[in-house]
Formats: sequence, C-alpha cells, structure tokens
Amino acid sequence: MLEALDLPFMQRALAEVLLLAVAAGALGTWIVLRGLAFYAHGVAAAAFPGLVLADGLGFPALLGALGVALLFALGVGRLAARGRDGHDALTALALVAALAAGVVLASDVFASGVAVESLLFGSLLAVGPGEVRLAALVALLAVAAGWLLGPRWLAVGFDAGAARALGVRAGAADLALLALVALAAVAAVSAVGALLASALLVVPAATTRLLTDRVRPWQLATGALAAVEGVAGLWLAFELDAPPGATIAVLAGGVFALAALARASGRLRPLGGAA
Amino acid sequence: MSGPLLRAEGAAIGYGAAPVLSDVTFALEPGERIGVLGPNGGGKTTLFRALLGELPVLRGRVEVAVRCGTVPQTERSRLDFPVSALDVALMGAIAGRPWWRRPGRAERAAARDALARVGLGALADRSFGELSGGQRQRVLVARALVQDARVLLLDEPFTGLDAASERRLEALLDELAAEGRGVLVATHDVEQARRWDRVLCLNRRQVAFGSPAATLTRDVLTATYGGAIVTLPGEAGAGAALAILPAHHCDHEP
Repeated sequence: MLEALDLPFMQRALAEVLLLAVAAGALGTWIVLRGLAFYAHGVAAAAFPGLVLADGLGFPALLGALGVALLFALGVGRLAARGRDGHDALTALALVAALAAGVVLASDVFASGVAVESLLFGSLLAVGPGEVRLAALVALLAVAAGWLLGPRWLAVGFDAGAARALGVRAGAADLALLALVALAAVAAVSAVGALLASALLVVPAATTRLLTDRVRPWQLATGALAAVEGVAGLWLAFELDAPPGATIAVLAGGVFALAALARASGRLRPLGGAA
Repeated sequence: MSGPLLRAEGAAIGYGAAPVLSDVTFALEPGERIGVLGPNGGGKTTLFRALLGELPVLRGRVEVAVRCGTVPQTERSRLDFPVSALDVALMGAIAGRPWWRRPGRAERAAARDALARVGLGALADRSFGELSGGQRQRVLVARALVQDARVLLLDEPFTGLDAASERRLEALLDELAAEGRGVLVATHDVEQARRWDRVLCLNRRQVAFGSPAATLTRDVLTATYGGAIVTLPGEAGAGAALAILPAHHCDHEP
C-alpha cells in the first residue's frame, strides 16, 4: 500500500476519495434524512449524457456534467417546491431518459464507446488534478452550506408546515440542498461513475444512520466511514487489479448489510442517546 | 398591540377551486383560548393551514397580525428524526433570522429556558422520539415560545394523552393565555372546550362561534357532528352532558 502511494495517480485517487468522504459526511446525512437518495442517484445519472456530449463536442467535461445535473436539480426542485411528494416517478423517468440518451449519443453519434464504461462506473485511478480540485470545492461548499443552512434543512425536514410559520423559505433552502447534491454527484461521477455515485454519497450515511441518533455525530461517523471504505476499496482494487469504483461500492454495500443485520439482531444500538 | 391577533371574515379555504371550508368569521383576542370543534374532515386542520399561510384563502379575508406557532400532531416520521428536545425547541430560533446567521449560544440558552418553562428542563437532551406524547406536545409548545409566537395553533394536542399529561398541558395553555397570547386548540372534547373562552364549531363551514355557554347547544353540536352525538343517560334538562361518539380514524383531510 505504502509503495503504491509513490505513484502520482494513487495520490490523486486517495485525495479524491478523502475529499469526497468529507462531502459525504456533510451532505450524505441530509440526503438520507430528507429522502433524497433516489434524487442523488438520478442527478448523477443525468450527468452521464452531459459528459458524453462534452467528450464528443470537445468542451470541458465538467461543464457538460454540471449543466445537465443542474437542469435536473432545478426541475426536481420546482416540483418539490410545489409541494408534490411524488417526484420519484419523474426522477425515474429522467434517469432512464438520461442513461438512454447518453448511450445513444456515445455509440451512434460520437462513436466513443470506450469511454462509456468509465463514465458509468468511474475511473478513480485516472482522475486528474482538475477533478481533485472539484472534489475539494464540493467538500468545502458542503461543509460551509451545511453549517449555515443545516438548522433550516433540519427544521423543514422535521416539520415543513411549522418551518413556513418560522419564516423559513423552504423552497430556497431546499433548492440550495438539491443544487449542492447535484454538484457533489458530479464530483462523485468522476471517481466512482454515474451509476455508483450513491456508493459514496448515500450508502455510508445510510449505514451510520443505524448507529447514531443526532445529526452532528452522524455526520462525523459518515465522513469517517466513507473515508475508510474509500481508502480500503482503493487499496483492494489496486492489489486485486479490480475496478476501484465497483470495489468501493461492493465494500460499502457489504458494510451496510452487516450493520443492518447487527441492528436487526439487536446487537447494535444508537450511540449517544439516552437509553 | 390592540385589536385581535388574528381575524377571519367570510373566509373560504381550499386546495383547488372548490373550498373545503367556508363562511369562516371569527377573531382571536389577546389572552383568549378558543376551542375549535368539528368532526374529522370538518376543516380544523384546513383552518390552521390557512392561518399558517400554507393554503390559499379563496374568498373573504384572513388577517394574521402576529407570529403563529404551531403544535401539529406527531407524525410517525418525526419520531425517528435524529433530534433532541433541545434541537426541536431551537428550531424556533430560526424565526426572523437571516439565513447566514445560525442560531448561537444565546438562542440555545433561550431554548433551554423554554423547555424549563414547559417543565422539560431535565429532558432537554433526550431524543424527541423517546419522549411521551404529552412531553412531545410540550416540546413543540417550547418551540413556539422560542419563536416568540403570540398565537399558538394546537392540532388535537390532547389526543392519546393520559389524564395527568392532559391536565399539565391544559394548565400550560392557561398560563400562556394569561400572559396575553392567543391559543387556538382543535379538540374533540366538548366538555374541555366548555372551560375555554370561546368555541368555533366547524363542519365544512362555520356552524357557530361564541362563548361556550351560549354556543354549545344541542342544535349546534348536532349541526357540527352530524348524527354522532348522544345524550349521556341520567342527565336531563339544562346542562345535560352531551358526548360525541368516538371519531372513526380517517383523519386525513382531503
């Protein structure tokens, strides 16, 4: 492991994974608490055709991914602001449309079939300095926005009706959350791919939710777990010559399954809360 | 401040074009406790949502002069929310703050004071979902106090409470009214509403509004609750005890 760290691409991959773990700790908890897991998956998938377009037309990949993902965020945000609970069906539609459009664009329009797999499942060992900078920006924004807007996201999630009486403009606060999740999803796509972004953004937070019953410890535990899973997955992938995105996803899924089993069997109790 | 805390005049409230609740005309004065009576689906929650600005007023007027705090019914999703009693009370501190200023030390102290005020000072760090029904209602009252709400809207706060919790909550509401706040309580308990200052009877429209003694007649209660009303045996004549048959549980209004 330590010799591997002499390799510049491993250093970048490690930095990317650790920065995304910070974002997962700051944002993943809100994604799980506010029921945005499927949205996070959808917005990451939506980045895929944007990346294909950028590749084919020769503009910066980040621009393509962000453009499509933010459009997706705005669309879902408008629906959520109108107070419709059931935007799941539309998220599913948009997700399928995005994947289909991406595949058609990649195979028939630009004939860039090779890149599709790395866009869908990530290429952590090939991330460049630009992608690491994006992950750093996302981590910083996620921590800062969570610090400032966290009390509002909590109040709206707890009781949207009362939040309005408290003068919280739920639409604006939630739109900021949706946009941040979109940004984080785009950052995660470069590491673990459009289809596996949830492995970093959602699964660690869902796992630590079983162990914590306050937001702050939950966030810290999520950041730590995502970092451990990311680094362990990266190391395993390097040693076994396996795809790192998929290795991290399998690891995260396995840890979640174990935690859920332990919780169900009564061996695990939330920490911190009074018994 | 003089004049009513909130006032409705010929208000019709609804979700689409057709009102769910109409002809609402009443006023809440400082220090008043108004019991809002009506069957499930009769419009109690609809009225509250309109007062909070969540539902449009289709006709007439609803004027809310002051800040309203709300004590909603506890939904299941709230029980496993990762918050302590203190976290919930602290949510009241968001009121009127710009988004870039998060609640700080002073607000935390105010939230602890409010919890002590409702008798929960010792349970401030307990998870909201672990508290009893009555304690949860008082945490939500504390949130309204932190918010400095001049009007409290309580949606069937006594449902599912034992007698001791019920007395405790009722005493707290009396206290809050005594300091000049307005209290609007949706309830099924007609006898309890008799102890308050006024009653507002709703059944898809306003049936009556006034002092309990003058308003809670058999005719008004029949119009409010339809057939689900019985006179308790052994009581006849003036002051006969009227009882509402237990409501069927279909409390989701359209």
